[in-house]
Amino acid sequence: MQPVSELNYNQALAELEQILAQLRSDDCDVDRLTALTARAVDLLNHCRSRLTATDLELRTILRNLSQE
Amino acid sequence: MNESLSLSQLNERIGLAVAADACLRDVWVTAETGDLRISGGHCYLELIEKDPVSGRPVARLRAIIWASNYPRISADFVTATGQQLASDLKIMVRVSVNFHPAFGLSAVISDINPEFTCGDLIRRRRQMIARLTQEGIIDMNRSLPWPDVALRVAVVSARGAAGYGDFITHLYENPLRLRFSTRLFPAVMQGESAPQSIIDALDLIAAEMDAFDCVVIIRGGGATGDLSSFENYDLAANIAQFPLPVIVGIGHERDVTVLDYVAAVRVKTPTAAAEWLIDHNSTALNRVRDLASDIFRAASDIVSGGLQQLAYYQGIIPTIALGNVSRAASALDPVVPDAIRHAVEALVRRHSDRLDADDRLIAALSPQSVLRRGYSICRVDGHAVTDAAALSPDDIMTVQFARGSATSTVNKVNN
Repeated sequence: MQPVSELNYNQALAELEQILAQLRSDDCDVDRLTALTARAVDLLNHCRSRLTATDLELRTILRNLSQE
Repeated sequence: MNESLSLSQLNERIGLAVAADACLRDVWVTAETGDLRISGGHCYLELIEKDPVSGRPVARLRAIIWASNYPRISADFVTATGQQLASDLKIMVRVSVNFHPAFGLSAVISDINPEFTCGDLIRRRRQMIARLTQEGIIDMNRSLPWPDVALRVAVVSARGAAGYGDFITHLYENPLRLRFSTRLFPAVMQGESAPQSIIDALDLIAAEMDAFDCVVIIRGGGATGDLSSFENYDLAANIAQFPLPVIVGIGHERDVTVLDYVAAVRVKTPTAAAEWLIDHNSTALNRVRDLASDIFRAASDIVSGGLQQLAYYQGIIPTIALGNVSRAASALDPVVPDAIRHAVEALVRRHSDRLDADDRLIAALSPQSVLRRGYSICRVDGHAVTDAAALSPDDIMTVQFARGSATSTVNKVNN
């Protein structure tokens, strides 16, 4: 499995949808549930961090921009 | 020696002739503007008529709007056309021709009909739109697919402009904390050099288009600015064919420019441009949020489904086991012994019945019974006689009856 950090946003999103489909299918293996959920959490955090910035980052960006 | 006039005398005559001619007073004239400049509150310009084919000037006259009239005329014009009075516009003005001995001939403008310019601007814009349509490029930028996530924004704006500041502040202080990254490509955003300056900025962006998701062209918010420089075919054609989606927010409430027909997105103000980007990306963020809750719902459904199943088994297994045991016990206790007893009893009864029957048969078949029914047994020498041939005359024969016996002698044998 490719490390989450190497995936771009769309790849991560596609894998999330795949996991969702797996979880929703009738033959989802309970033994794999932990692994699937852990992967989903990683992917979600990855997507979210691609989309959103932390307070610190925002402050840095705005400071840099005001110096322009 | 010929009589002569000084130049000032001549000019004075011209001035009088001009002033005396009512045909040169308060006349409505249509012309193009050129060389327009403001000085000391007065507006100086040139009225030009060009050959419609060659574009060369065929008539030219200097014109002035005195400072006493300029604010009113300018305001009327801006209100109606959405742009400042400037060079290269077709205008209709009321003029009175004046001749000044020192400054020569000029037209003093006392009123303006902005509707004429509006019509002309619209006509010009229609021509540009027709050309862009004919060239098949008018919809190119508008039909570009937007990436789901458009966070890397190339900004074309004047450095330090209020509109740019509004845009940046609004974009980065979005409540969703969307991770935008912007880079400014400075350009002149007003006047005649604006179109080329913006095109140059677009060229720079195109050179590294992989680094950006979209382009935003913005200009100071609020102020009713001069939009005429954006009514430009080259700029419109550049935007139309630009490989990244372009958002145009050049800050005008009422009027549109040709750029509004070619840009992927048209907004009124820089703030609205930021708003649009936030909204676009919040869709992606919401999708991630929805996916997150869907995934956790699906996962917890599986877990709770499993737990429910386990709880069911937990509840049912003891019941089943106990049920089985008690069923087994009850089967052992009253039912089986009874059955056995009944079976045994039946068996015994069956056997005793048969014994009874045998007894009766045996009783019926016993010699005593036979004898009682009138039969008798004949014996010779203790042996029962069953065949007359075994007898000879004078054999002594014992006859036994049911009760008692007799001795007899055989007289004759009948075979």
